[in-house]
This record gives sequence, structure tokens and C-alpha cells, in this order.
Amino acid sequence: MSEHIVCCHECDEIVAIKDTNRVGRFKCPVCGSLLFRHKKSMTEKMYALSIAALILFGATNYFPFLSFEVLGNLSHANFFTSVIYLVKEQEYLLGLAILMTTIVIPFFRIVLFLILFAPLYHKHIPSYAKSVLKFLEFSTPWGMLDVFLIGVFVSLVKLVKMGSIIAGTSVWAFGVLVFVLAAMQVTFNPHQIWELIDRNEESR
Amino acid sequence: MRAIECGLATCSACHHIVKMPPRLDGVSICPRCGEEVVYRKKNSIEHTWALVIASILFYIPANMLPMMHVHTFAGTQSDTIISGVIYFLHSGSYLIAAVIFIASIIVPITKLLILVYLLISVQFQKGANKVKKKRLYQLTELIGKWSMVDVYVVAIMIALVHFGGLSEIKAGQGANYFLLVVILTMIAAMRFDPRLIWDIKEDNATRI
Repeated sequence: MSEHIVCCHECDEIVAIKDTNRVGRFKCPVCGSLLFRHKKSMTEKMYALSIAALILFGATNYFPFLSFEVLGNLSHANFFTSVIYLVKEQEYLLGLAILMTTIVIPFFRIVLFLILFAPLYHKHIPSYAKSVLKFLEFSTPWGMLDVFLIGVFVSLVKLVKMGSIIAGTSVWAFGVLVFVLAAMQVTFNPHQIWELIDRNEESR
Repeated sequence: MRAIECGLATCSACHHIVKMPPRLDGVSICPRCGEEVVYRKKNSIEHTWALVIASILFYIPANMLPMMHVHTFAGTQSDTIISGVIYFLHSGSYLIAAVIFIASIIVPITKLLILVYLLISVQFQKGANKVKKKRLYQLTELIGKWSMVDVYVVAIMIALVHFGGLSEIKAGQGANYFLLVVILTMIAAMRFDPRLIWDIKEDNATRI
């Protein structure tokens, strides 16, 4: 592949990229927006990171997240309990939003990254690659675990004054998970996989 | 060369460059992924305006109504967004006060102001400072989801504090409205088509 043509999503400029093997950020010459990032051995990195993310996601939801004690009364919470209590109080809209943005969408994204990059790592392009890539593209802004992390910090400060709060194993797993997800976000370059699919279809 | 001038458009799902019919409202099917491809997002201006106006309206009850009610044996205390910020300021947690103030007040207002500014400049074909406008648009996309912090705080507090008569936290109506503001402004930023800024003719830009 000697030349690669992309179209800037911000300003609609057609950009021909000559040096496609260069590693780093490619920017639009007209408006300066990021076209894509080219990372070395993206597949291997994404495969490793998505396995790590799945394990951390499991740990986050399995172990106790936060415990809170007031005058001998103890309560535990993790991601699901907040949804359960919101539904109990008939706050369906809030419950649904929390369920989707902190559990369902992040979980699906991790699993889809894994089932996409596991076959790619073994030099096989799965038949569902196109639908997976499309879902990953449109769900990007709706996974909000990084925002949730800030929410955890704020509530910790708020609750410290009401009683004693105990951070569980999960909090640590969750903190690492947020960083792993951020690393995945900057490593993932869908352009590379779409090109792989193109070349595969041409050769057939 | 811009894609629209060559009769080309990019697929929004897979970034494939697609040959388009000559009419500007023409529709193509992406040969690579099968998604519908258009030159510009359909009714982008109208939809963005509708979502922006709806968010502004919802933002009023989101600030007036309490985000949560704290029931303790001493009585019930209701917190709005502003009273939460003031509470943190009084108790000396300046960092947390700043986080809440930025996430719940500065971010939504900035997002709405930027979108209104971009919509007006596209509708009146004001083409100056295109790169600056592009940066503003990217900023709205970047900061969009961070306003969810306050909603998450309410959810975490509800999950942890439920000791019957001793102390209990319940969600207020304000949380619902605030959630709607966050979601609607995020969709509004997605519906806006940044390429419209660059479609404005250059001779217009020099006149301003």
C-alpha cells in the first residue's frame, strides 16, 4: 500500500497520505484535525488490552465497590446496586442511563474489541468484523466509565462527613480499568482494519 | 480539493470515500459497509436547533429543582446543583466544589453557547475563523459527557445511603432534567455537521 486516501471529517478535504508506514498522528493539512493515529502492532496491543479490560471489568463488578457505615449500620454498593435502588424508587430514566453508560455499553465494547482482535491476531478476518466496527464507531461517546470515576471521587468526599466509607477491592480494579480503556481508545485505529477487510475482499 | 467538489462523500460508519449522485441531496449506499451515505447530515441545522432549544428549556428545572433529598433523623435537606457547590465551598472542599461547578454549570452552558454560535454562523453564512470554529466544535464533542458527573454522584449516594429512618438519600426531579440536558446536548453536538462551516464561500469570509 503506497498511498492511502482519506477524507477529513471536519472540513471535507481529501487528503492523500504518502508515507503510510509512518507511526504517529496524521493531521488534516487544511484544518489541522486528527485524521487517525497509526500505531505499531495495533492488533497485538488491542488484543492484550482488551483481555486486561475484560478481567478488570469482571473484578470491578464482582468484588464489593464501596461500603458505607453510619452508627453500626453497614451498606455495600457496586454498579448494579445503584441501578437496583434507582429502579426501586421508580427512577427508571436515571436507572436506565446508569445501566447503559456504566455497565452495558462498556461491557459490550470490551467484548466486541476482544472478539474482533482475537481472530485478527491469528491472521483471520471474522465475518462479523464490519458490524462490530460499526457498533464500536457509534458507541464511542456513550461509554462513560471515566466520568463515573470522577463521580466516585466526589461522592467519597461527600460521604466522608456522614459516616465512615470503605473503598473495596473493586475501586482499585476500576481505577486501572479506566486507564486501560483510555489506552485502548488511543490505540484503536479503525482505518487499518477497514483496509485489511478491503484487501481481503479484493484478493478473493 | 474538497470531497463535495469532486462528487464524493465519506461514509459516516466506515470512512470509505463513496462516489455520489450529482444532486446535493443525493443518497448513496456505501459499497464497503452498506450504510447510507449523504453529502451532509440530513436536516442537521433544524435538528441541532431543536435539540439545543429543548436542552435550554430542560436546563431551567434542572437548576431550580433539587438533585437529591437527604432524609436524616434531624430532618430533610434538599440539594440543588448550586446549593451543592455552596455546601462544598463552606466545608472547605474547594477542589470538589470546582469539579461540580465546572461539570454541571460551566460545561453545559459552554456547550449550548458554542452550538448556538456555530448554528447562527452557518445560517448567516459567516465564514471567518473557520479553524477556531472547528476547535470550538471539537471542544463540545470532547467535554460533552463530563457533565454526567453530578448524575453519577446522585446514583452512588442513593446506592450507599439507605438506612431507613436514620439516614436516607432519594433522587430529586432535578436529576432527571439534568440527565436529559446532558443526553440532548450530546445528541445535538452529534447532529451538527462541522463540514457546513467549511462549505461557507470564501468571498463571504473576506467581507466580514
